[in-house]
Amino acid sequence: MFRYFIIRILRALLTVALVVTFAFIVLRLSGDPAYSIMGDNASPEALAAFRKEWGLDQPLWNQYLHYFAAIVHGELGQSMRGGGPALDLVLSRIPATLMLTLPALLMKLAIGIPAGIYAALHRDSLIDRAVMVTAVAGYSVPSFVLGLALVQLLAIWLAWLPTGGAGSPLHLILPIVTLGVGGAAVLARFVRSAMLEVLGQPYIRTANAKGIPWTAVVRDHALPNAAIPTVTIVGFMVGNLIAGSVVVESVFSWPGVGNLLVVSVAARDLSVVQCILLLVAAAMVLSNLVVDFLYGFLDPRLSNDNTAGRH
Amino acid sequence: MTENIVELQAISKSYATRRGLFGRRVPVRAVDEVSLSLAKGQTLALVGESGSGKSTTGRVALGLERADTGCVLFRGTELPAADTRAWRRMRAQMQMIYQDPLAALDRRLTVLDQVREPLDIHEIGSASERNDKALAMLGAVGLNASHAGSLPSELSGGQRQRAVLARALIMRPELLICDEPVSALDVSIQAQVVNLLMDLQKEMHLSILFISHDLKVVRQISQRMAVMYLGRIVECGDTKDLLANPAHPYTKALVSAVPVAGGRTRERIILTGEPPNPAARPTGCAFHPRCPVARPQCASVSPAVTTLSNGRSVACHAVEIAPTFMGAEA
Amino acid sequence: MTMAEKIDDTSTAKRKQVRSSRVPLSVAAGILWIVVIVFLALLADQIAPYQYTALDLPRRLAAPFTPGHLLGTDELGRDVLSRLIYSVRISLVVALCATMISACFGTAMGFAAAHFRGRIEQLILMLADFQAAMPFLILSLSVLAFFGNALPLFIALMGLYGWERYTRIARSLAITASAQGYAGAVRQLGASPSRVYLRHILPNISSTLIVSMTLTFPEIILMESSLSFLGLGVQPPMTSLGNMVGYGREYMTSAPWIMFAPALLIVITTLSISLLGDRLRDRLDKGLQ
Repeated sequence: MFRYFIIRILRALLTVALVVTFAFIVLRLSGDPAYSIMGDNASPEALAAFRKEWGLDQPLWNQYLHYFAAIVHGELGQSMRGGGPALDLVLSRIPATLMLTLPALLMKLAIGIPAGIYAALHRDSLIDRAVMVTAVAGYSVPSFVLGLALVQLLAIWLAWLPTGGAGSPLHLILPIVTLGVGGAAVLARFVRSAMLEVLGQPYIRTANAKGIPWTAVVRDHALPNAAIPTVTIVGFMVGNLIAGSVVVESVFSWPGVGNLLVVSVAARDLSVVQCILLLVAAAMVLSNLVVDFLYGFLDPRLSNDNTAGRH
Repeated sequence: MTENIVELQAISKSYATRRGLFGRRVPVRAVDEVSLSLAKGQTLALVGESGSGKSTTGRVALGLERADTGCVLFRGTELPAADTRAWRRMRAQMQMIYQDPLAALDRRLTVLDQVREPLDIHEIGSASERNDKALAMLGAVGLNASHAGSLPSELSGGQRQRAVLARALIMRPELLICDEPVSALDVSIQAQVVNLLMDLQKEMHLSILFISHDLKVVRQISQRMAVMYLGRIVECGDTKDLLANPAHPYTKALVSAVPVAGGRTRERIILTGEPPNPAARPTGCAFHPRCPVARPQCASVSPAVTTLSNGRSVACHAVEIAPTFMGAEA
Repeated sequence: MTMAEKIDDTSTAKRKQVRSSRVPLSVAAGILWIVVIVFLALLADQIAPYQYTALDLPRRLAAPFTPGHLLGTDELGRDVLSRLIYSVRISLVVALCATMISACFGTAMGFAAAHFRGRIEQLILMLADFQAAMPFLILSLSVLAFFGNALPLFIALMGLYGWERYTRIARSLAITASAQGYAGAVRQLGASPSRVYLRHILPNISSTLIVSMTLTFPEIILMESSLSFLGLGVQPPMTSLGNMVGYGREYMTSAPWIMFAPALLIVITTLSISLLGDRLRDRLDKGLQ
């Protein structure tokens, strides 16, 4: 068990290192970072100073190590547009994003999981069909279309809610619903198929044949086993909390991380983009780690040394 | 003494199962210091339970896998490394038959295409010659032109095994390794396929390494046999003699489990204890936890192979000390 | 079980059989829609009433069903229907190229993992895990930020979408085929690796890969249109469905058709392909049993 966790932690660290390496390679491939970060109008002296400061006159391998060291120390560069440290800028936007993504996550869980379980248990019923149709539709409607449709209906025609921006709790409703509906559909579909998979297993039939009441079979055998794959996708949603609303924030002009990312990409404010990329990666890795730990408890087979491996 | 077509000299093979990028390597010793030789035109049977390493031995003999230590001599020279050009050319001389013919055939190609494939691979003859040769080979294994155009899924189990046999023999190999070739077939079909194999052996001067757990088939087809237990050869000798007078306690148990026609009922030796697990090999003689005549030294000292007067080789402490006692019991 | 229940049981069984053998109406409609869309994309030059850049300045923001402009015009007086037809072409081309790249790359990686095993396999699987764990939108936005946007780069970037799925499929199926199956047998006959992988394994796993492509295709369309919507994908003067929605959004109150026509097209197209993909997957699952 202990060994399993150590391996997972090492893997997580390795993944973070991989993202840093990715950022470094992309940064190098994209041209002279002095130009990219200082802008084309910088004076030759400023460029030289920048190169010296960042060790760009050193061999590539050295630069890589320096880059790594800087990131470990939390030095993620200055925002070209805002001027301040990129990290501070990004961190200041996180609460706004969480105001959308956290309630949306709760909404996904509260709707998606029960709907999926119900649909699986009453296969081919009217509700199952409805869940499946909604889920397929939810898959096919991109969030910007859903968001804009809601704006058109509720903000423009009915004028019940504001079209975008921040300020009052009313501003929160449309973005949260937009985020939540699509995710709930995806989750419902996933939970349904995980449940159906489990319900088709021989041990469920055996439990049934032994005369255990159906509700007990579902509670003691089906749900815990279906929970195992579901934890993965929920973990992905949790890891996506800080940057899962890029498109929706853009639709509703919400001042969160996603909006900052889009604006920074358009303006090529590279240190901010890089900072968001690394933060997202860290969040993803962290949530994956939590998922792996949960797996260790949910699925005793995985922490057994003999079978500890991929899932 | 006849010439040996293939000789295994003290080969060992371990599998290291690594789990993940940082996983610990868990070595599993599949084959341990196995020496065997197969004379030209003869059949050597390799017998053992699943997990005894008999299939791995066959794959090593064929050069599909490289032994960790020891060497494989084919017609007196060592096999080239797997997946090299030289190794691929050698495939024409040594072939294999599998337990599950449906898995061994490509489901999307017709039988004729697949029987012809070795000729395509080794670029022998023109296209029409290849087809003729393949059809002739199919005829030799008892399949006709209508079978030639079928997909494997449209054939019966026995017919599929015949197709696999045709594919293996079309290059006229000298060595054929059969890994449980009939155990997946119905008993009535088994006899047909075994008879076909024996006919073809005579006709094509094939040498066969026959891997099986079925002593009835082994008795019919082989001149010599070797018994494996957890990666080691515990007994090896002339098939008829060995089946009549097994020396090793494990062989005795195996032989006693075969029903004998003609009423001469033997007492069945029932083995107790855990079935063999290569990942947790017992110390000393691997068989000692289940052995009815185990003695204290068996748990610590691995028995060496001794050759008895009749050419039989056995690896057992009990036999070393009192070979006559073991022989007298039978 | 009573007699009535038994009868009921067999009749439901029969009904299920009938349902599974007949193409459902929704899937048939989806296929029809895909045919129409492909037709539009191929014959855009012949069908579109105007060039997608042609301006009709006197009639800016004309409503749908204006004579000469069936779906109206946008803020520069460009014909929405014509732009829609060309957008379909661009979006389909981008998604098709990306799907091809991703399938080829992913399958090659999967075969490499199955062939070399060991460290190379572990490395490839780690990259696949990484790709699956990182939100693709964030990754592609970072790449676009660093490299700027050009259509070939954008297509190549979209071509990384979902490669890890093909890698996993190709790897596990190739390993199975090599361990006990036909691929191991053919290798043993002396076939070169390229013959084993291309002539034997690839045709045998192609149906699984095609189903996977059909399921990934709509996701790539959505990804492309999201990026284009954000103004970071297909760039003007070129037009794509997402890009039309993004620019049409400015005129949401006065001319909602500029935005909703392409939005509707995105939804119907992805829905159709998803339905087809689901159907193909069900068929494949049934065929494998």
